[in-house]
Amino acid sequence: MDRLVFDAAAAIAVLFAALMVLHRNPIKSVLALVVSFFFLAVCYVLLSAPFLAAIQVIVYAGAILVLFLFVLMLLNIPQEISQQEQRPIQQLLGGAAILLFAVLLISLLSARGATRVSSAGAPKLAADQIAPLARLVFSEYLLSFEALSVLLLAALVGAFVLVEREKRP
Amino acid sequence: MIGSIPLTHVLLTSGALFVIGLAGALLRRSAITIFLSVELMMNAANLALIGYGAALGTLEGQIAVFFVIAIAAAEASVGLAIFVALFRHTETIDVNRINLLKW
Repeated sequence: MDRLVFDAAAAIAVLFAALMVLHRNPIKSVLALVVSFFFLAVCYVLLSAPFLAAIQVIVYAGAILVLFLFVLMLLNIPQEISQQEQRPIQQLLGGAAILLFAVLLISLLSARGATRVSSAGAPKLAADQIAPLARLVFSEYLLSFEALSVLLLAALVGAFVLVEREKRP
Repeated sequence: MIGSIPLTHVLLTSGALFVIGLAGALLRRSAITIFLSVELMMNAANLALIGYGAALGTLEGQIAVFFVIAIAAAEASVGLAIFVALFRHTETIDVNRINLLKW
C-alpha cells in the first residue's frame, strides 16, 4: 500500500518536474514545480520524515516558490522566445544529461537484488516524532545551526543591498 | 513505514528528478527557469538523503535535508535579488544576452 502510494506520488512529481522544464511560460513552470514539491512532500511522509514534509510544503512551496512568483510578476518578465539561438554545445549537454540518466538507470537496475537494505531490515525509527530530530539539531549540530542563522541574516542583508536603487545625487 | 518501499524506487525517483533538473539548467535560457532547475536538483538530492536515512534508520539524513532547505532559502533570496538588479540594468534575463562580463 505504502509502496503504491509512493510510486504514484513519485511519478506525479517527476511528471510535473518535466512539465516545469518544458514550459515556456515561467509562471506556469513555477506552478508546476509547486505541484511537484507537494508530491515530494508526500514521498517524505512515506519515508517517515513528516517534519521535513511539513517544512517542504511551508518553506519550499509556500515561501521560496512564492518568492519566485513575486519576482516574476513584479518584473513582468516576457515569455522565452523560441529556442532558435540554442547553441550546439547546449544540445550536446542535454544529450549528456540523458546519457547520465541512462547510466543511473542501468546501475540501479543491475544492483536491484543487492540493494534491498530498506525493505525489511530497517529498524523502526524512534521518529515519526519530531523530538529526537530537535534533540539532535540542538545538541550535536548546534554549531551548524547557529552558523545557519548567521548565514540567513547575511542573505537578508545581501538581498536588501542588491535590490536597493542607487541614491540619486 | 519504510518497510514496504524499496530503496531502488527512491533512488530512481531521485535520479530522474536530478537529471530533469540538470537538463533544464543546461538547455533553458531564461535565468529564472535555470534557477528553478537548480532547486529541483537540490530536492532530488534531499529525496536521496531522506531515503538513505530511512533505510539505515538514522536521523542524520533528515538533519542534512533540514540544513539544505534553509540554505536553499538563503540562496533563493540572494539569487532573486541579483535577477531583479540585473533586469533593471539590462531589461532581460535571457542568459545568452547577458554577456557584459564576456571578453
